Amino acid sequence: MSIIINDLTVTYKNKVTAIDHASLEIPQGVFGLLGENGAGKTTLMRVLTTILAPTGGEVSVNGIRYCEKNFEEIQKRIGYLPQEIDLYPGLTVQECLEYMGDLAGVPKIECRNRIRYYLERTGLTAHRKKKMRQLSGGMKRRAGLIQALLNDPEILIVDEPTTGLDPEERIRIRNLLVDFSEGRTVLFSTHVVEDLAATCSRLAVMKKGRFLFSGRMKELLKEAEGCVWICETCDENTARDLEKKYRISSKQFVDGGLQMRIIFWEEGGCLPPSHFLLSMLLARPFRDGQL
Amino acid sequence: MLDQEIKISFPLYKIIYSVFSVVILSIIRGITMTNEIGIAMEAPLAMLAAVFCADTYVQEITSRRAEVQRLCPMKKRILSIAKRMAVQEIFLFLLAAAGYGLFIFFQRPMRFYEMQEGGSGEIHAFLIYLAAIAVTLVFWGMLSHTVSCVFGNVWAGIGTSLILWIVTDSSIGERYLGAWNLFSYTFRKEGMDMSWICGKMLCIFLVMMMAVLLPKLLSHCRK
Repeated sequence: MSIIINDLTVTYKNKVTAIDHASLEIPQGVFGLLGENGAGKTTLMRVLTTILAPTGGEVSVNGIRYCEKNFEEIQKRIGYLPQEIDLYPGLTVQECLEYMGDLAGVPKIECRNRIRYYLERTGLTAHRKKKMRQLSGGMKRRAGLIQALLNDPEILIVDEPTTGLDPEERIRIRNLLVDFSEGRTVLFSTHVVEDLAATCSRLAVMKKGRFLFSGRMKELLKEAEGCVWICETCDENTARDLEKKYRISSKQFVDGGLQMRIIFWEEGGCLPPSHFLLSMLLARPFRDGQL
Repeated sequence: MLDQEIKISFPLYKIIYSVFSVVILSIIRGITMTNEIGIAMEAPLAMLAAVFCADTYVQEITSRRAEVQRLCPMKKRILSIAKRMAVQEIFLFLLAAAGYGLFIFFQRPMRFYEMQEGGSGEIHAFLIYLAAIAVTLVFWGMLSHTVSCVFGNVWAGIGTSLILWIVTDSSIGERYLGAWNLFSYTFRKEGMDMSWICGKMLCIFLVMMMAVLLPKLLSHCRK
């Protein structure tokens, strides 16, 4: 099950181009979509879930082209967790999931079994009788993820599923997504690089509606090699000057001096880029088609 | 899944304001004869139905659940909306029936139909009231729901209904639309003249049109 995006363009009515002639192939497995806020990740996901019609270009899933007559065929293969979703506040978690499952056309017994399984996997079993409005943000997010999994989709599209989760929940959700991805495609959007590093076999980086990079995490780290420098200074003015001039990823007081990690675009840095630093590296000024 | 549909369509606040509206109406709207109950009830209940049903589907758009539901089979989605509309309309219908009783209970009106020579009787008049009010409730509920879906906003549905309500429930509406008025039951002439049924037939026709449009609307309405 692969998704092919070819020269995709999405321009909104207010003339803002959210996706700008983007091409990408999303293979089986967990595929990460990385980019800062407003990069076009959510727009791309809305196109892939058939919510939004593209202005130009083509999208196909396993050879099935995105067009009105194929939508039904495509839609039943997809599970989707939007960035923001407010599930029925007056229903309990169990009721809400049963309702969503029924709406998706999942047979009752199968639906109950899946709900039981995923509640266990996401650590929500003890909360299944609570009303949705009584859940914390993280719990709501997990319930949202379960609803996306209920129809056992061949393609799972999750938009920032780990937002609002504590570290333990994060790991649980990441593991669930990896397990689920066997024989399927999971498109995982986030701006947290660590989440992608822990789950994705491949990823794409988006900025201003275009793909800056598509490939493996290792390759992305290699691209960023030599851009991280370390500097120690005791002089306040030097530290201030460096802060003005460069992007500082971290500061730490050591032996009376200040140690700073500097993101510097020229090659020759003394530290290897970490996943955390990557997110800062990606914020560098965009040069057409280059990381 | 009817259980869930009932819980979704009936938050407590809706039940409270609708019951209060009918109780207050039956106390403050003065009548002297039983034939005035239908006149007193039809228009306010129409507006109540418009407000009550406006969020039937729009709540899915504003909460972004519609984005997920777009992936569900259309048949299931329509069935879900139909169930919600049905439970809401049945509730309003029962409220309308109870309201008739409340008018009699609070105001003790004279029995108009029993006083008429060869009159058809109070029960018969009550049954006709129920039939007319059922059509009114379904029409105004459906109208408000449809317009709300088109604009993705409950206020659009309620506002449009209010404008149409003001126009049709007026002397202008009575003069120009006559028997084809959406409130033809309110403006009916007592006796054997049943031409007001035309207005109700028009309501049924419009409801059918809106029902036919629903799948198209669901596949296109978005935020």
